[in-house]
Amino acid sequence: MSKTLNRRDFIKTSSATTVGVATIVSGITLTTFAANANENPVTNEKRWGMLIDTNKLTEVEIDGMVSACQQENGWGSEVHSTGDQKPTWVRKLKVQDKATGKITSLPLMCQHCEEPPCVDVCPTNASMKREDGIVLVDKHLCIGCRYCMMACPYDARSFVHEDLTDQREHMPRGKGTVESCTLCVHKVDNGESPACVASVNSDAVIFGDLYDPKSNINQTLKKVQSAQIRADLDLNTGVRYSGI
Amino acid sequence: MYRLVAILMVLLMGNVFADKHADHSNLGEEASSIKASGKIFHTDGLDVIRKMHPDFLNHKRDKTLREGVRTKEGSLKGCVNCHAIKDKKTNQYHPVNDKDQFCSTCHQQVSVSVDCFSCHRTTPRKGTK
Ligand code: SF4
Ligand code: SF4
Repeated sequence: MSKTLNRRDFIKTSSATTVGVATIVSGITLTTFAANANENPVTNEKRWGMLIDTNKLTEVEIDGMVSACQQENGWGSEVHSTGDQKPTWVRKLKVQDKATGKITSLPLMCQHCEEPPCVDVCPTNASMKREDGIVLVDKHLCIGCRYCMMACPYDARSFVHEDLTDQREHMPRGKGTVESCTLCVHKVDNGESPACVASVNSDAVIFGDLYDPKSNINQTLKKVQSAQIRADLDLNTGVRYSGI
Repeated sequence: MYRLVAILMVLLMGNVFADKHADHSNLGEEASSIKASGKIFHTDGLDVIRKMHPDFLNHKRDKTLREGVRTKEGSLKGCVNCHAIKDKKTNQYHPVNDKDQFCSTCHQQVSVSVDCFSCHRTTPRKGTK
């Protein structure tokens, strides 16, 4: 801004300001209206969850879910990380029934536990659970100690080992912090389904509010038999599986 | 003594806020066009946004990350989208934290290193890709 503002300039600027305010105010009213749902903090009246039917889901579809997640959130193209260092938000897991030898493939990501051990152990409160059950890492606070990675029974978390650039606009990621499946929280807050769910063209994977009696996921869970992986740990996971 | 210190502070502040880029060459494309149209985006005044933007950003980050409030106000994405400029030759955006870019000029001057951009995207891009 120019430092020597004479009276006439001042009047010019301030009248321009008044016009500006009017325009901006109407602009703001419009955007606020459009973004209505996101103005208020999320509450515990909802609990987001996912139901994965392993009988219906094909291996190709599981691979598709993994790449949809990579595409959406921008992980998987780390060049300097090797082997176990590579971030993995979701992966294809094969489980075998010891008695029959039957092999089942399933996608495994953060299970969004109601009682998350990763949150219990975090010394900085970076690992946190939102009111609506989505478990996240607040990378602003994460010191990279990786306690949460050790505490998670599902090996769902990864540590970023290298400098990153060109991140997704909606998904900040960086060296020295821990990350994991966010349930595509940026999409969920927008009323959309997570990317992996959207990539499957059948009802093999459904997403929704576990508490809402009208939701597909709530109704299906009441009908079909489903399981939580390592239910013995009593973590009450948000991600459920049927067919295992 | 206090008066001297105060004067010194005022002088230093002047230095901080003295616009090295008085031509606003690094103001950013969208920001420049808003300015050219005579509208004012930071309605609280430039001195407020200059001084308070770290607080605004910190407040918003907690609101968004922890509570899911995704309004446009105080959004870092918004800063980047508005204040980035394209290289005339390559037609690519300069990262906003590059030397002499919008997010760097003042920070350079006062030797502050910002850590936003080890995780946050430094150029505008709409949509998911
Ligand atoms: S699955 Fe692991 S990372 Fe996800 S909430 Fe549970 S303990 Fe935390
Ligand atoms: S690595 Fe980060 S999120 Fe995990 S326990 Fe340590 S500080 Fe918390």
